[in-house]
Amino acid sequence: MPPNVPSSSGLQRLIAQLAPLLIVCAVVFALPVLLNNDFLLNKVARYLVLGILTISLGLSWGFGGILNLGQAMSFGLGSYAMAMALKLKTVPVHTGASGLPDFMVWNNVAHLPWFWEPFRSLSFAIAAGLIVPALVAAALGWFMFRGRVTGVYVSIITLATMVVINLVIIDQQSYTGGFNGITDLAQLEIFGVAFDAYGRATYYLVAGCVLLSLLVAFAFTKSKAGLIVQAIRDHESRVRYFGYDVALYQIFVFALSAAIAGLAGMLYTVVMEFASPTFLGVQLSLSVVVWCAVGGRQSLVGAFLGAVLVAGMQGALSESAAFLETWTLVMGALFVLVVLFLPKGLAGLAQAALRWIVQRRQAPGRGVAQGVGQTEGST
Amino acid sequence: MSSHLDLRDVSVSFNGFKALNSLNMSVRKGELRCLIGPNGAGKTTALDIICGKVKPSAGTVSFDGTALQDLEEYEIARAGVGRKFQVPSVFRELSVSENLDVARARRTSVLGNLRWNIGNSGREDVERLAELVGLTEQLDRPAAYLSHGQTQWLEIGMLVAQDAELILMDEPTAGMTAQETRKTAELFARLKGRHTLIVVEHDMGFVKAIGDVISVMHMGQMLAEGTAAEVEAHPEVRRAYLGSGGISHA
Repeated sequence: MPPNVPSSSGLQRLIAQLAPLLIVCAVVFALPVLLNNDFLLNKVARYLVLGILTISLGLSWGFGGILNLGQAMSFGLGSYAMAMALKLKTVPVHTGASGLPDFMVWNNVAHLPWFWEPFRSLSFAIAAGLIVPALVAAALGWFMFRGRVTGVYVSIITLATMVVINLVIIDQQSYTGGFNGITDLAQLEIFGVAFDAYGRATYYLVAGCVLLSLLVAFAFTKSKAGLIVQAIRDHESRVRYFGYDVALYQIFVFALSAAIAGLAGMLYTVVMEFASPTFLGVQLSLSVVVWCAVGGRQSLVGAFLGAVLVAGMQGALSESAAFLETWTLVMGALFVLVVLFLPKGLAGLAQAALRWIVQRRQAPGRGVAQGVGQTEGST
Repeated sequence: MSSHLDLRDVSVSFNGFKALNSLNMSVRKGELRCLIGPNGAGKTTALDIICGKVKPSAGTVSFDGTALQDLEEYEIARAGVGRKFQVPSVFRELSVSENLDVARARRTSVLGNLRWNIGNSGREDVERLAELVGLTEQLDRPAAYLSHGQTQWLEIGMLVAQDAELILMDEPTAGMTAQETRKTAELFARLKGRHTLIVVEHDMGFVKAIGDVISVMHMGQMLAEGTAAEVEAHPEVRRAYLGSGGISHA
């Protein structure tokens, strides 16, 4: 930051904060040019989707102070919404005579259940993939935040709720495909563009959604409401004495975060070509927390990169023979190290490094660095 | 008599201990009222009752004709009550300017606050406030890095930013130097008239400098009310403070 600008104006500051976000998105969009391997591209797309999921957690945890251990619940709901629509598009290949999904036929279901009917429309499914997670989160948030539940209890309640929904999905095999999830899906097709999981179109769809999610989350954190949410994270009760209804702000950020996670879930179905109860499983949900912490929960870009890097590493480790059994240990160790030594994650490390460089640049010929502190602020 | 704030027979007890025992107090509009009393007299509890942090077990609190005792904290704040806490309560991870911005609660709804603030509207407002409380140099620093005195000032600045009609101050000068205390007294003198203030304070010099009327509390009740001289001469006040050498050393 040029030191001779008197207290940089809001616009300049905004551009400086947007820069890392735009650079990362540019790299994401440019990647297919370098990667001429459809299999690898699909893999990267998968990690990008997990990155979106982690952005959503960063929003509620890093900015709102709400550690949602059940973030994968919203992800799974989005995933199933997309899978239900894509399953119904397979008529008549993977369906019984009356257009019934194959697993329902096997389970002796005679008619398509009422809650499956509207999923014949893709637009409905996409809307549901965003709105259902948001509504579920808002309802859960209404009970928790109106009752002034905070901290570890929020984590326990969200985790438990996710487990319950997970069990219901596994149990209701005839309507949900149970353990197997919903498989053998049609390709997503929007405005005549087919999104093959291994095609470039899908990759760019995911990349576009990465940009969209980052921008939406960024816009929220830079709004006054976003500022108030951060104030609530710092000192919840104090905010009340300024006249803000704290619970409403918490419900809002919780629901917004769930909607973004739902978007990620829908994309995951497209990329993976199925939906499974593991998408709303404890393991994924806790992994997201690790990714978010490693990347830096108070930085949207950091949370995103944390997911892409660590999930990528996770993928590589779990495929190599040496770490097949132990990669969870490696992940656990990484989490402990980050929590102990990098409370702001890799993003915090990057910010500190940047500050150090700026400081050194200014040091020769000038007094002790003056601009320090101006580079504060998360992106 | 047109009173702005009225506490009528307010009682509250914590585990059987009567922190307030049928407290009565009324404050006129634009008045600066000092609230003093020995430790445990219930001064802070009285402020807690007004701002809604503690609900009274009996009695009423009316402010501008509105009954406050049944409202939520944020509703009381919207009705025009601001509060400064004894332990300075600011948002430590936010910068000074962000703290002031949160306190400028012109709009309180979530959706109303989703709009962006690129045009820097309000930035001038925040800078003016920072100047008022001497934190211009610290505008972009996180509040966590401020000294204790500066944190006190920041919270006072936040109350000015909130622009509440009734401002409750709990020991605003604790941890301040003599010079800072004097500056605080000047600021309060400026706030008086436009705002109604209730100040809990131990520093008698400060109380004498700013207070019109002093209310003395003891054992959860109002013991005496009047000017500094009247209160000091009051026999029951002397008895309540017995052994501590008069209220000047309270």
